Amino acid sequence: MARYVMQRLLAMLLTLFIIVTVAFLVIRLMPSSIYDDPTISAEVLDMIQAKYHLDRPLIEQYGIFMKNVLLKGDWGISMKIQPNIPVFQVLGGKVPLTLFINLVSLLASIPIGLVFGAFAAIKKNTMTDHGISLFVILFISIPSFIYATLLQYFAAYKFGWFPITYTVSDMASVKYLSLFLPTLSLALDPMAKVARYMRAELIESLNSEYILLARTKGFTRSKAIFRHAIRNSCIPVLNIVVPMFANVLGGSLVVESIFAIPGMGSLMIKSINANDHYLTIAILLIYSLVSLMTVLVVDLLYAVIDPRVRMGGKKQ
Amino acid sequence: MSKNNPILQVKDLTVSFNAFAGKVQAVRGVSFDLNKGETLCIVGESGSGKSVTNKAIMGILSKNAVIDRGEILYDGMDLTKLTEEQFCQIRGKRIAMVFQDPLSALNPIMKVGKQITETLCVHQKLSHEQAKKRALELMAAVGIPEPEKRFDQYPFQFSGGMRQRIVIVIALACNPEILICDEPTTALDVTIQSKILDLIKEIKQERNLSVIFITHNMGVVANMADRICVMYAGKIVEFGTCDDIFYHPAHPYTWALLSAMPDSESRERLFSIPGAPPNMLMPPKGDAFAPRNHYALDIDFKEEPPFFKLSDTHYAATWLLHPYAPRVEMPEELKRRIDRMVEEDMEYECK
Amino acid sequence: MRIFKATDPEYLSLKREDFKLHTREEEIHDAKFETKPVGFFKDAMLRFGKNTASIIAFAIICIIVILSAFGPMMNEYGYNDQDLDRANLPARIKGCEGINLLNGSTVLKNRRKDNLDNTEKYPEGCILDVFNETVVNGVEMCDIRIDTYIYSGYGDDYFWFGTDYLGRDLWTRVWRGCRISLIIAFAAVLTNVGFGVIYGSIAGYYGGMTDMVMMRFAEIVQAFPNIVVMTLFIMYFGNGLFAIIMALVVRDWVGTATLIRAQFYRFKDSEYVLAARTLGTKDAVLIFRHILPNAIGPIVTRTMIAIPSAIFAESFLAYIGLGIRAPEASLGVLLSHAQTVLLQYPYQTVFPAVLISVLMISFNLFGNGLRDAFDPTQRGT
Repeated sequence: MARYVMQRLLAMLLTLFIIVTVAFLVIRLMPSSIYDDPTISAEVLDMIQAKYHLDRPLIEQYGIFMKNVLLKGDWGISMKIQPNIPVFQVLGGKVPLTLFINLVSLLASIPIGLVFGAFAAIKKNTMTDHGISLFVILFISIPSFIYATLLQYFAAYKFGWFPITYTVSDMASVKYLSLFLPTLSLALDPMAKVARYMRAELIESLNSEYILLARTKGFTRSKAIFRHAIRNSCIPVLNIVVPMFANVLGGSLVVESIFAIPGMGSLMIKSINANDHYLTIAILLIYSLVSLMTVLVVDLLYAVIDPRVRMGGKKQ
Repeated sequence: MSKNNPILQVKDLTVSFNAFAGKVQAVRGVSFDLNKGETLCIVGESGSGKSVTNKAIMGILSKNAVIDRGEILYDGMDLTKLTEEQFCQIRGKRIAMVFQDPLSALNPIMKVGKQITETLCVHQKLSHEQAKKRALELMAAVGIPEPEKRFDQYPFQFSGGMRQRIVIVIALACNPEILICDEPTTALDVTIQSKILDLIKEIKQERNLSVIFITHNMGVVANMADRICVMYAGKIVEFGTCDDIFYHPAHPYTWALLSAMPDSESRERLFSIPGAPPNMLMPPKGDAFAPRNHYALDIDFKEEPPFFKLSDTHYAATWLLHPYAPRVEMPEELKRRIDRMVEEDMEYECK
Repeated sequence: MRIFKATDPEYLSLKREDFKLHTREEEIHDAKFETKPVGFFKDAMLRFGKNTASIIAFAIICIIVILSAFGPMMNEYGYNDQDLDRANLPARIKGCEGINLLNGSTVLKNRRKDNLDNTEKYPEGCILDVFNETVVNGVEMCDIRIDTYIYSGYGDDYFWFGTDYLGRDLWTRVWRGCRISLIIAFAAVLTNVGFGVIYGSIAGYYGGMTDMVMMRFAEIVQAFPNIVVMTLFIMYFGNGLFAIIMALVVRDWVGTATLIRAQFYRFKDSEYVLAARTLGTKDAVLIFRHILPNAIGPIVTRTMIAIPSAIFAESFLAYIGLGIRAPEASLGVLLSHAQTVLLQYPYQTVFPAVLISVLMISFNLFGNGLRDAFDPTQRGT
């Protein structure tokens, strides 16, 4: 197990290294230059370029960048958004907010999805099942930014139940209330996906022989389902949860901009548009890091829940 | 039909399934008795209704199944009329079942120990330690080496034969009176099969169990049965003791089954039954086997044959036994086979 | 249980002549196939035909495709005809005068009542309704619903979906945007599937070292978070149509490749392939005639399910400012513009939002129907 984790961590470091390299090269090779303000005189421009080693060949720039990163842990400074502030300081305040709405929505949606999916499976082909299936197809199909827009217009603007946009406040309740709608609009899609998958898996489990065996042991149907089918069905559901975590920060970009949440999304858009290169690299790094980490954690969780994976047995 | 002490009586059981295309009549008026301490084998090809009969006895028919008629009498109760809660007091505790495929019958992600003890905890209200102790005893009794270690393992860490032993332990956990074995060796390696059969025989003797043994393998039947019911298309076509069926078969379907049994001695080509079983959406009029029967009479296509009594224990449902019928002998080849079997019987005991 | 007794009246009536061996015209033989053989595709289509929801979804998709092709030509406005005087006009359709969303009306709040007769301020016939009358500081105030078109001097025009902040006709732009979105989605998915199939076939068919190297590469590509890859890609290649299509493909093909590779591993060692191989069949023929057709069901299904995700991804790019270059518009670009003025001009959001939702639902239902048709065992997953 420990060896497996080590292997995964090493592979992750390698991937991160490749991502940072590619990001660096791509950003530097972009046609527009960092300082294209015509009011800056050529002399000043040369000085700035020299200061940031922009006048050196690309490979050398990359060497300097990597050296700073590896030896000093220095990822460079922001050049445009908040000039001369180290990039991670700029990022510092933004990451928690983005992480919060994403993780909360995802973590909340999984159990709710499981419950609805299980309910639909047990009540298969009844009105309950059809009702849940209808919502599932709606939630899966309609993009999250449409829900965000709808919720913002009706729940916030027309009825005034929630703040229209993100509200900075000392009072935690106000702040979290203003984060409720974005979190909700992010939660609907994963919820529906989990419910749909859970329904299918549970229906399969319900037809399995071990449920019959459990019933011949003297469990009632509902007890047999509860003790034997539910957990077995949850395991394959993890298969679709993993990619959700892999995309964990990406999903909220649009919702963040709709609700004016000063998270990583808006920062990324700004830094890209402003050619704030080091900041952009740092943001891409954070996105990759969080996504790789969450996938690793979920994979390990998989091993904990499913003995067949843990013991090196075959998956189903 | 022996009148000595039936523990379970099935009377005119009729089960059908509501399927997409219509009502499938899986079991059409099956009656038999299970006597205390005997092994009753139910044989028949796939789809003959043998599993459905036993699922009805266990009360685990699927949702779209309907018991149209008949009763299953056990201990003064009619099992077809019980509620789910009442049935739970019987299932596992007094009637238990061993499944065909131990791999799919065991929950893949639950330790086998827990799968055994949960029955004990439900029915006998044992504490965890007591249940574990009992489970370990049983595991040792069915020949699982190192039960202590095995107790905490998962089904995928067991071999097929060991898995089936676990399923048997689960069935035996609460000391049931009746054990239903639904093709317990079909999914196993040939080398393991005889071991599992011996085990079932052994525990049956030890615990004085009454066993219903479902199979389509006549070799297994010869090895296990006290009495045999032959089923075809949802009906019993012949029943009798092991000797009756093997040495004096009377129904053409039984002849065909016996001829289809592989035999190391015979040099002849293996016989197969021509044609396919009838569509149970619309069971044919008369004798369901008639269209595949080389000895079919005209009346077989018109009237359903009743049971003809051959001896006190032996009945067969075929018009060939009617006084009007022409005298038809079983096929020569089968006769030679049976003669051989009788000879072998001197050293090979069939009980 | 009926037991025969010779004396039973039931059996007395039996006739002796019935008891003779039945004579058959022909030998007993195993059941023959009475139904005509049905091809795989025909079978799938028959199953698909039974799925009403999917059929309706398919019809809706067809209608949307036709409208995206011809919708922009249905009125006289071009997609880039700007006129700031007619900016932000709400939707107005002939014959829909009773419906507030579609009659070009706007509510103006807190107007002085004595001003209402002033035709310079309120051109004749522009006031449709007066309500919420109040008196504030001795001045009579009220809310009025006006015909925005007459109010701004465009009484003869009918913008079916209204106009945007530059006065461009939204009907034209919505359908043109839908066209762009569909083109991007279809092109991206077809490229994705095409490349994935070839890549997966090669890896799966040749196996061994080739497979190892190709799959490790695919794994590395997939390790990049989607958003990061798309962003880098568009930053580098700009936001033209082709760049956006490629940005959607750059990571998604891996899924297709894995699927196809798995199919190859399943079938390449099967007896019939070995048989064909012993007959000296060429690799290409083995791949395309013998193995790949097995994967046709999953491929078609995957294609259909991938289209809504591609539409979503494209809108997503538009929202973060990486959408298609102006003045061209996609549904995502329209939505992200409309979003900024949602509280003032909600109608600008309504039409593209409804369209994209209907489109996504239809594609999903259609895809589900196809999946069930091609693989009945996969029902519901």
